[in-house]
Amino acid sequence: MSVLLQRQISGHARRSGSIAKRWPRVKERPEIAVDWAGLIGQIALRRDREAYRRLFEFFAPRIKGYLMRTGSSEAEAEEIAQEAMIALWRKADRFDPATSGAVAWIFTIARNLRIDAVRRGRRAERMLQVVEAEYLPEPVESTESAFSRSQEAGHVEFALQRLPAQQSEVIRLSYLEERPHSEIAELLGIPLGTVKSRVRLAMSRLRELLDVLK
Amino acid sequence: MTIEHHPPEELLARFAAGRLDQAEHIVMSAHVSMCVRCRRFVAAFERLGGAALEAAEPAALAAGAFDAVMARIGGGEAASPAPAVPRPRRADDAGLPKVLDLYDIGRVRRIAPGLSMRPIMIPGAGKSRAFLLRSEPGTRMLEHTHTETELTCVLEGSFSHEGGHFGPGDFDLGDDTIDHRPIVGADMPCVCLVAMSGKLRINGLLGRLIEPFIRL
Repeated sequence: MSVLLQRQISGHARRSGSIAKRWPRVKERPEIAVDWAGLIGQIALRRDREAYRRLFEFFAPRIKGYLMRTGSSEAEAEEIAQEAMIALWRKADRFDPATSGAVAWIFTIARNLRIDAVRRGRRAERMLQVVEAEYLPEPVESTESAFSRSQEAGHVEFALQRLPAQQSEVIRLSYLEERPHSEIAELLGIPLGTVKSRVRLAMSRLRELLDVLK
Repeated sequence: MTIEHHPPEELLARFAAGRLDQAEHIVMSAHVSMCVRCRRFVAAFERLGGAALEAAEPAALAAGAFDAVMARIGGGEAASPAPAVPRPRRADDAGLPKVLDLYDIGRVRRIAPGLSMRPIMIPGAGKSRAFLLRSEPGTRMLEHTHTETELTCVLEGSFSHEGGHFGPGDFDLGDDTIDHRPIVGADMPCVCLVAMSGKLRINGLLGRLIEPFIRL
């Protein structure tokens, strides 16, 4: 393993203290001190530039960092981070705190823009506005009322709160941060085999929890 | 309409992270848009994606990025973002998943009696290709295997093979461990959206003889 990677890992471990403690249950996460949803609401309501600056300062570098960690070049990550922040400003009025967490919403914006950057290739004309069509339920809106959408969000929240912290952690490390299992093993101080079985278990447990609610 | 066959969690996870190859992404997108159950799974992943974003190591933006963004927002760009130009829909596009609006679809090509396809034009080079596959009622496909993977989402009609019966919205995953011989439902044509990597291997002497002529 490279020295750099080792440094990254030990840096990560140091920052987060015990990772398990840092990510106990999604709901109990201690750092939710800032009301991101509220700030997005301020932008929607009255184009609040101060609220926007706070969102920008926190999220833009993290979007860039996240994209670089998961395969984007620095230039691409920079561009998408900026585009994502622009989209956040423009779409702020479409953010519905009842159906999505603010941070998850920002994640989907960045993710969709990256997918679209690949797709665009040579055809810039079909971008931005359509990215949210990524997988809208069809027919849009007619079958899904606002009520059922927020009920769905409640189900997702229910399941995530009941997913053991260790399990949501391996899912995040493995699929969202795209760390190889060997790195996760080192990070968590558990055998490689345990990582593999924990990932598998976490995935089926999440499915079960989501399926409990009809 | 009850969807009975779903993609494996692994694929849903990579779809939610936005890390599938385009052809596979298109097929997953079609399934997820029709399937409440998988949409929920993807939504859970997006929440975890938010957590990953919050925890990400920040990477400083280029000097002046904030001002540049503010200028783009404050300038004319904000008032009128370039209008999206979705692909004009053709009469036979009715019922196609929305994600296909983002792609050009090629002309219908006959593959064999009762079987035709339309390629989805994907910019850049991915490992798999995507196409719409249409088969007439009652078509019996040759027994075949895949050298890599094949993701299928039924859009209309149905087919069956050893793995079960597949109707609209159902998802089927084929790989090199599966030999199958699908039969299309007798009542109506079957339209599927397929992402395929690797090659189709048609079993038996007849298959080996005609394989070179089947280009999918």
